[in-house]
Amino acid sequence: MGEPGARATNRGFGRVLVVIYAVFALAATARSAVQIATRFDEAPVAYTLSAVAAVIYIIATVALARGDRTSHRVATVAITIELVGVLAVGVLSLVLPSDFPRASVWSTFGSGYLFIPLVLPLVGLWWLRRTAGSVTPDD
Amino acid sequence: MTGLFATIIIVVSLALAAWCAVQLIANRPPGLPLWGALGVLELLLLAFLVGGVVQMVGDDRDFARLEFVLYLLGLAALLPLASWWVKDERSRAAAGVLLVVLLVVPVMVVRVQQVWAGTSG
Repeated sequence: MGEPGARATNRGFGRVLVVIYAVFALAATARSAVQIATRFDEAPVAYTLSAVAAVIYIIATVALARGDRTSHRVATVAITIELVGVLAVGVLSLVLPSDFPRASVWSTFGSGYLFIPLVLPLVGLWWLRRTAGSVTPDD
Repeated sequence: MTGLFATIIIVVSLALAAWCAVQLIANRPPGLPLWGALGVLELLLLAFLVGGVVQMVGDDRDFARLEFVLYLLGLAALLPLASWWVKDERSRAAAGVLLVVLLVVPVMVVRVQQVWAGTSG
């Protein structure tokens, strides 16, 4: 502690947060890649959103892990989209279940993943607020 | 997939997760004995990967082979990646990171078994 960037988004609790994001990035990427490669025709809307979710998780993971000022902004945007996405897909999967067979990490607010996809963006935004102003400048 | 070996991995993983939780609560980074135990778990996961692929090749049932191999590769990669991520972390956050991946391991092992049995969507 005490070195520059000690309270950047990738330090302390941030280390743990980045790993949780990385796990979801991997899970969502692998899952949507398999879905799109093997059975895209069955539910194109849900599978496309699956891929979008995967990309969002990847961007959030990398941005949180980098921890400089630009990354802080990128992470804020990505995680805000993530929150909107999980809420929108959660509602749509309940209202239009035929278009959303249990197929994406965000279906029914992430119930297939212990609702972690719903809680994660809230924790992420809280962490970004906490670390705001203390991140290291861009190189 | 062989039930006993998978069960051993799940039990070891959960035991190490509990160990990490103790370190986390005690505000300590993981020590050498914990790292050694993680090395043993990684050896088990590598054996799981090799054994799984061997069993898959010798089996002509129809199941999701791509997902099966991806899960096995993911399991083998999890601990090395997490270790690399916390190699410079001297706080209890390192124990927190390992706790997360040690809880992910059992979930993925269960998924591997589901894919093997062909009961997953």
